[in-house]
Order: sequence, then C-alpha cells, then structure tokens
Amino acid sequence: MRIATWVFLLFLTLGATASSGGGRVDCAGDYCGTLLILGIGQPTSLLPPVTDQKLDSDIFDQIFLKLADIGPAGSTLGDSGFEPLLAQRWRWADPLTLVFSLDPRARWQDGRPVRARDVAFSFAAYTDSTVVSPYRASLRHIAAVVARDSLTVAFAFRDRYPEMFYDAVYHMRILPEHLLSAVPRSQWTTAAFGRAPVGDGPYRLVAWKEGESLELAADSTFFLGRPHIRRLIWRFATDFSAAVTQLVAGEADALQVLLSPTNVARARAAAQLALYPYSGTVYSYLGYNLRANGDSTRPHPLFGDPDVRRALILATDRAAMAQSVFAGTAKVPPAPIPQAWSWLWLPELTVPPYDTLQASRILERRGWRDTDGDGIRDHNGVRLSFHLMVPVTSGSRRMYARLIQEQLRAIGAEVVIDEVDAGAFSERSRAGTFDTAIQSWSADPSPSSGVAQLWETGGGSNYGHYADPAFDSLVERAVSAPDRAGAIDAWRRAFQTLNQDAPAIVLNAADNVAALHRRVTHVRIRPDAWAALIRTWRIAPDQLIDRDRAER
Amino acid sequence: MATWLLRRLAAALAIVFAVVTLSFIAIHLAPGTPFLPGDERAVDPAVVAALRARFGLDQPLPVQFVRYLGALGHGDLGLSFSQRRPVAQALADAVPNTLLLAGTALAVDLLLGLTLGTYQASRARRRVDAAIRAATLTLYSLPVFWLALVLLLVFGERLHWLPVGGIRDPVLSDSAPFAAHLADRLRHLILPALTLGVVGAAGTARYQRAAMLEALNQEFVRAARAKGLSERRVVWLHALRNALLPAITMVGLALPFLLTGAVLVETVFAWPGMGKLTADAIAARDYPVVTATALLASVLVVTGSALADLLYMAADPRVRAPDA
Amino acid sequence: MSGARWFAVLAVIAWSALAALVLRQRFERRGADHRGPGRRFVRARGTLIAVGILVFFATVALVAPLLTPYRPSLQLDIVRLQNAPPSWGHPLGTDLYSRDTWSRIAYGARVSLSVGTLAMLLAATLGALVGAAAGYFRRWTDAVLMRLVDVGLAIPRIFILLVAAALTTHLPLATLVLMLGLTSWFATSRLVRAEVLSIRERDFVASARALGGGAWRVIFRHVLPNVAAPLIVSMALGIAQVMLLEAALSFLGVGVQPPTPSWGNMIAEGRDQLATAPWTTIFPGLAIVLVVMALNTVADALRDALDPRQETP
Repeated sequence: MRIATWVFLLFLTLGATASSGGGRVDCAGDYCGTLLILGIGQPTSLLPPVTDQKLDSDIFDQIFLKLADIGPAGSTLGDSGFEPLLAQRWRWADPLTLVFSLDPRARWQDGRPVRARDVAFSFAAYTDSTVVSPYRASLRHIAAVVARDSLTVAFAFRDRYPEMFYDAVYHMRILPEHLLSAVPRSQWTTAAFGRAPVGDGPYRLVAWKEGESLELAADSTFFLGRPHIRRLIWRFATDFSAAVTQLVAGEADALQVLLSPTNVARARAAAQLALYPYSGTVYSYLGYNLRANGDSTRPHPLFGDPDVRRALILATDRAAMAQSVFAGTAKVPPAPIPQAWSWLWLPELTVPPYDTLQASRILERRGWRDTDGDGIRDHNGVRLSFHLMVPVTSGSRRMYARLIQEQLRAIGAEVVIDEVDAGAFSERSRAGTFDTAIQSWSADPSPSSGVAQLWETGGGSNYGHYADPAFDSLVERAVSAPDRAGAIDAWRRAFQTLNQDAPAIVLNAADNVAALHRRVTHVRIRPDAWAALIRTWRIAPDQLIDRDRAER
Repeated sequence: MATWLLRRLAAALAIVFAVVTLSFIAIHLAPGTPFLPGDERAVDPAVVAALRARFGLDQPLPVQFVRYLGALGHGDLGLSFSQRRPVAQALADAVPNTLLLAGTALAVDLLLGLTLGTYQASRARRRVDAAIRAATLTLYSLPVFWLALVLLLVFGERLHWLPVGGIRDPVLSDSAPFAAHLADRLRHLILPALTLGVVGAAGTARYQRAAMLEALNQEFVRAARAKGLSERRVVWLHALRNALLPAITMVGLALPFLLTGAVLVETVFAWPGMGKLTADAIAARDYPVVTATALLASVLVVTGSALADLLYMAADPRVRAPDA
Repeated sequence: MSGARWFAVLAVIAWSALAALVLRQRFERRGADHRGPGRRFVRARGTLIAVGILVFFATVALVAPLLTPYRPSLQLDIVRLQNAPPSWGHPLGTDLYSRDTWSRIAYGARVSLSVGTLAMLLAATLGALVGAAAGYFRRWTDAVLMRLVDVGLAIPRIFILLVAAALTTHLPLATLVLMLGLTSWFATSRLVRAEVLSIRERDFVASARALGGGAWRVIFRHVLPNVAAPLIVSMALGIAQVMLLEAALSFLGVGVQPPTPSWGNMIAEGRDQLATAPWTTIFPGLAIVLVVMALNTVADALRDALDPRQETP
C-alpha cells in the first residue's frame, strides 16, 4: 500500500513538472526560433582542415566563412555567379593571379578583425602535409597565397583552367591565425580547438554534449546580416530509422534527406512537416571488377568481356528497381552523373533499355549456355556465377542487391550477395578482392575531380580497374577546356565512350528530399551543402512553438 | 583469507591482461581500416595513409602492442580515432550514462523481480502463481531489442507519451528549474530502463520464487508461524531475509554485463552509453576505444565476481573461501 | 495461398497436437508402473503445449516446401506488392522486397532452429569435455582450464561476437555456427565441472578406476552419464540462448546473410517498416518468442523430472 502511494506521488511530480519548459522569454520580431536539426552519426572535429565529413562541414560552415561560395545555379566554371562572403570583391591582376579584397566588417568571435594574414595562414595550414587535410589535393593548382596588405590577399596559380576561382574559394574555410598559430600542426587532428572552435561566421558554438547534441547561437552582429533563427541545435541519431522516428514524433525540426520511400511516406503523413526536394549529389552503380578477383594482372574470367557486361546491364530493369527502392525520388541517369550535374544530362546520352531477350541473345552468342540444366549458364566449365558486395550500412544498396540477384537469376546468372561491414567493404574495394560491388558516391559540385578519381586509369577510387586511354584523354580535354561549350562537348564524348565500354551498371541518381517543420520559411537548400544557407531561413514570430520559446 | 585475496588478485590481473591482449590483436587483424569517411565520398588513399602513420599504425603489430602497454602503464588510454580526443574523455562521457541506465534497470529488476518472486511463493501453486509464471516465462523469452522496438513504437510514436530516444531534451535550457531537468531525464529513462529491467525481473522472479519456497520450508518458518506471527510478516520479513542472499550475489555478477552488454537497448534508444560506444568503435575500427572498453569490461567482471563471492562468504557463515 | 496448402498447414498443426498427446499417453502408461521421470515430465503444466509448439516448428522446418507457395527469396512484384498486409493470398503479408512472409518464416525456421541446435551441440560438447577434464584431473589441468573459462566469461558475448564478425569479410552459415558455438561453452563447463567434482568421489567411480580403466574411459563410461541430467537441461536452455543471440547479431547487421531468411534477420530488415508494415517484424518475433518459451518450459519440466530434489523456479 505504501509503495503504491510513493509510486503515485512520483508520477504526480513527473506530470506536474514535465510540461514546464523552464524560463520563458517572449520573443518578438524576426529573430526568434530554435531549429532542432537531426544529424546521423557524430562529428569528429570542428576544425575545418582536418575533416571532410558532411556532418562536420554542415556545422562548421555556420561557424567559419569561406572567401566566397557557389551560387544557387551551382556553376563551378569561371568567377561569376559566386556569392561573396569574407571577400567583398575580387579581380584578376593577371591570368594567373587572383586578388581578393576582404570585407573590413568581418570579425572573429573574440572581437579581433579578420585580416589577410588569416587567409595566408589558412592556405599554409591546409596545404601542410603534417595537418593531413583531405582538401590538400584540391588546392594543388595554387602555388602561393600572399597577403598584400591587411585586407588584400593574392592567389597565384600554376596554370590556367576553368575552375580556378572555384578552387580558390570553395575548399578553404578561413582560420584565425592568432588562435591557431600556437598549436603545432601535427596535433591539429586531435586539437582541442576542434571541440571549441572560434570563428567569424553567423553562429558560434555554445555547448557540445558528446554523443547527444550540439548547440549554436546566432551572432547578432554578423556583418552579412543577423541570422533570423536564434538557436541551432544538432541532435545526433544513430541511424536513419531512429532519426525519422524522432522527426515524425515532433521531437526535431529538420532532416537533410529521407532516403527511402517508407520514410518519405512517414514524413508526408506527419502533419507538421513540409517536404523539400532538391537535386541529389549522390549516384550509385554496380561496378564490375574488370580484373580477376584478388589478382589484377589477369582479366576477370567473366567481366573481362565487354559483351557480358553489356548483357547484364540489359537484363536489369533499372527503372523498376529505382521505383521500388526510392518510390519516385530517384532517376536512372544516362551515365555516372548525379542530379546536381544537371547540365551534363545531355540528350545524346541514352539509358540502355531493359531487354532480357537481347541480353540472352548476347550471352548465347558469347557461348554462355546452360549445359548442365542447373538454371545457371556456363561456358568452358566456368559458371556465370559471381559475388556482389554491399555494405551493411546502406539499406538502399542492400535492397538493390536482392533485386538484382533475382533479376539476373531469370537470365541464368547466379549472384551471391556479400553483406560486409563498412570497413571491410572499403578494404576489399581498394584491394580489388571482389567481383562486383555496389558503390555510392557523393559528388562535389565539379565533375573534374570526381570523374577522374573514379573512372580514369589508375584513379584513386577506380576499384574496378577500368582503363580506356580514349576516355582519359577526353576527360583531360573537358577539365582543361577554355570555355563552357567546349567542356560540355568534351564531357559528352567522354561519357559516350564510357557507356560504350560498360564498366558498370549505372543504377540511380537520387533526389534528396529534406523534411522541415512547416513553421520554417524562406528555405533555400543548396544541393552540395544543404545547411549552407541556414542563416537566411526564418521562423515566423506568429508560428512559434514550445521549442522556440525556451530561453537558454 | 589473505591468501585467497592474493590469489584472486593475481588471477584477476592475468585475466585482464589476457583479455586486453586478445582484443588488441583481434581488432588490429580485422580487415578494414580506421579513418575512412563515414559518408560516401571518394577516399584519398594518401590521406588515410598519412593519418595511419600519424597514429602509429604503420608500425609492426608487436611494436604497437608494446607501446600501448607502456602508455597503459602511465594511465594513458590513447586517442580515439573517431572522436579525435583522449579515450579517457570518451569513456568519462559514456560511463555515467550507462551507469544511470544500468543502475535504474537493476533497481527495477530487483524490486519487481524480488517482489514478484516472493509473492508467487506465498501463493504457490495457486492460479495467481501460474499466471505470473506464464507472464515471466513470456517476458524471459522475448528478444530484448524486439521488445524495445515495440515499446518505442507504441509509447513513443503512436501515443506520444514518452520521447523516442536520447538521454535528454537538447532544447531544455540550463536555467530551467531542477525539477524540470529531473522530469526530462526521467521521461527519457523510463523506456530503456523498463525494457532492460522488466526482462531481467522475469529471470529474477523465477529464481526468487525457488529460493523463497526453499526458505519457507525451513524450521524457523514453522516456528514463527507457531509463535502466532501473521503470514505476511513470516513471508515478507523473516523468510525473505534468508532468501535474499542469491539475489544479492547476482548483483555482483549482473552489473558488469548490464554495463557493456546493453548494446541493443542503447542502439534502439540512441542512449550514448558504453555499449553503443563499443559497437560504434568496432564498426569504425577505432582501436584504442575497443581495447579500452575490453579492459574496462574485464576489470568490472572480475571485480564483480570477486565482490559476489565476498558477499556470499560474509552473509553465509557456512561458506568459506572456495578453491578459487 | 491455395487450399491445398492451407490444408497442409492445418494438418501439421493437428499432427503436432497429436504428437504431444501421444507422448503423454506413452509416458503415462510407463509412469503408472514405474512412477518414473517420464510421468513427472508430462504432468508438468504447459509442457504439453510447449512440446506441441516445438514439434510444430520442427515439422514446418522439415517440410517447408510443402507448406509454402513461394520460394523464400522470390520477389513477387517489387513495385506493387511491397509491404502488402496479410490477405488470403499472403496470410502473413509481404515484406519490403515483396517476398511472402509466411514462406520466409517457414524456411527461416530451418535456419534459426538448425543454427541454434548445431551451435548448442558444439558448445555442449566442448563444455562437457573441458568441464569433465577440469573436474576429473584437478590441479594444474583444472587451474589452467578454469582460467581460460574465466577469460571467456569476462567479456560480454555480444562484444566477442562483434569483434569475431569483424574479422571475416564473408560470413557463411558454418562460420556463424562455429562462432556461436565457440563462445557459448563457458558456463556449461563450469556446470559440468561442479558435477564431476562431486561424482568422482563416489564409490562406483573409485571402483572403476581401481579396475584399471584409462582416465578418459572412466570419464566417458561412468562419470559423464551421471552428469547427463543437468547437462540436458542446460542444452535445452542453450538452444534458446543461441537463437536469441543469432537474432541479436542479425539485428546488428552481422549474422545470417541474405537472401537466406532467418527469424533474426527478418526482424532486422523489417525494423524500418515497423510503423507502416508491422507484420514483417511481429511474426518473426512471435516465432522466436514461441520457440524460446517452449524450450524454457521443456527445460523446466526436464529439471523437475530428472532431479526431483530441485524445485523448478
């Protein structure tokens, strides 16, 4: 009896105190609101040069500024269409020298003004090999960065190419020299600054509860305009399933992508959410290993033959699979091109049809017949059987693996699925110990680095050992083309060559669909960095909910 | 007694050393490498190689092991690859969360389990007993993560009574009154603690019922009844005290497992504790964290079992130092 | 699902009930004469239902092709039949890949039950051998073996299994069974050792040794048979534990590989659809719960029957 009384009292207390949200401040005007954003996984560090994880950059891009950023059109060629940030204006002193004039209003959080020395210091740090920055390779065309006076800085390039301006501004976030020069560069990967950064951006870090959440507060004196949303809180979820559950239950306001049609349906059914589709930067393909599994000196017994590769492409119904896995939020691209490179989705590039009859004919012509009646074709004692590797962490790729397995079974090919954890997946991809693997890439705004790395002979991520000198030279031509039209023409021919060679089954280029609470307005999402423009978003003062009213 | 303690200590050290060595070797041998990007970006092999060198992973394995042991001797657990900060800090953040969850779950486990088991014994072989037996059997047989998912679906998503995961509300301001913070923490704690506690309670209830039945058969119970004491006092005061022993010793053994084995519940409820830290570290090949948690786990287990043995010896004068 | 198959399923249910009743009959007849362990076994409450459940699932596993209209990995219509709710054609609905859930449960029974049984057999054998050796030979053998067991018990199994899974890039069923078996024998060895320690002092063992039998001969012919009772009980519990462990591993992403269905990986795959298509997770979960409950009940009843001194909790 007494126990029951205690329990009852406990629940009473719980109920009474649960609803009180603490000190309330009635927020008036245009500068209110708390945005609760879901992040998958956890940030490693908020020191920009040491990490290129999307979650990390989403956050530190609110704290640090670049010199300029790409505009809504997403073009990376030339220097028009870019939005000035730290740099107020720029000019070309000569074809190889780019001079920026910094905005004199820019200030670090501790009050010190941002100077050209900071830019020069940042470049030195980004390109210092002891810092081990993933961005270092992207800055290789820049020979030197020199501060001419306190607000003028000059970039000297080694050669001319269409994306000089993009390389100068996009990769580097400017760092405070007066705070970081004392930290030895070799310790930057684990520096305490990465957990307590001091920047010049629209927001500053207020609190970081490891494993749970991270809070940013708006800087009301930000020189490019006070951010309208006062607090940004990132909440870390373990996986998408958990994140969508929190979003739908009203415990969060924003999620960058919904990924699967189930999640899209759940988000649509939640009355408080609005969906924002935007161009995806990710595309997936089933990459063939053109060299023998584990022995790159010999061609692969199955996939060394381009006809076999083409036949298997024809045997897969890519449109239906994309519909099944993504329910209308993905398209099948004509080549390994994400939706963000929409200017490359050229009409001359055609998607191979779904034609099982043709596929069978090709295989028969190459000698693949089912001689022993087990349902699987064979040829000279070799069965048309191979392994397909996917990482356990990707739900959509695992789905694709099962769908492809069944579809290829119908034309007499046997697929064995290897679901491996992410570490083993990368390891085996790099070592070439796979037959086929479904790879998924998140592309930069510019095709130059991505395409070379994945498809050029000897490219760092060209796991399938695809090598075609004609393709390589076309890509080189596209990357160094003097103008846009020339570049487009070269890319078209390059991709046509690649499609003819069929080194992979191109599966999908997904849309991204973000889900945001209805009360958030003026939403602009840039495909390459969805959180880049959060400082322009607003929460209308008449739409505030409990979350917004709780004062820190 | 002293020799027994010394022998136990020596054995404990040997065990802990063996566990740390095994886990060090195992995780280093696992295919895959740390420092890979978590999202789907092109990997720059030069960057990965440079990071590996920076953290000393390009040395031969025995050299790395010796350096690790040396650092351990100074109390340095190393730097976490995924969190880019000392492992000790990562543990310091995760351990209290797990203690909170495990402690509450254990409390629920013991309170519910002991009460149920004792009640069952006092109503032995009647309908109520049978009904509770069926219920505990069912709970005992549920996969813990399945129960967690179902509870999350019902109470979190459908009914919105409780939050769907996490340890606290990130929006709650620091200036809010203590009661609000307490309520918030409790609301987040209920589902995960209940999931773990209820399944544990089912097991405890089964053992407690047996122990109580045995105690109720003893002479002193009959004597107490003959003296005219009420049945309730006999059962809940006198018999229970004697039957409490196995339950108490279970605490010593259960705690370490709750601490590191609650991976499933922590994953489903996004509870940033030791279990989740370990699972994430294995997946990300965060070697220092993996070996550190193996170290911690083995220390807890040997301590727990020694404690359990000590408690048993202290409580029951018939039992002397067993041959370890 | 066609009428013929419905009939087949009902037939299996009827057969399971019949088998349980026949079992009771047989033991009852013997019990009337001997009051032996058999009678106590079947008299125990709920044992009948438990035996019926086990027979049902074992039979389903054996004759799965006769009871299911589709292959478990057949994707019927990936666009239109995804996550279809239960209906006459699909009594338990379909999953994310438009595969029939009932077919997957039936074939999944094969995998889950066999993985559980085989892993348990491995663990029991290893545990019995190690425990017997430690208990019989004592001194150094005992000390070394029991330290090994302590090391094994010192880490939670999930941890060991996750690390072990990380060591392989490919996880065929045989490896999984091996992994589960090799990590589950520690407690059994402790149990066997305790029993052997007490048995070895008994007269019949002393006389067997005096008669000059080799140590292992004595162990196998005289000692182990007397350990059988608690060992069998722990084996029944062992299958249940391994099945739950396999489900947990599949949930965490390591475990039975696709497209082979196991009840554990069915729950893992259905997790994202829990809110919109709960049948994909609920039915495999229910199957696991039923089998584990049945095994626990049978273990309790065995304990009751074989060792009347101990009251079952």
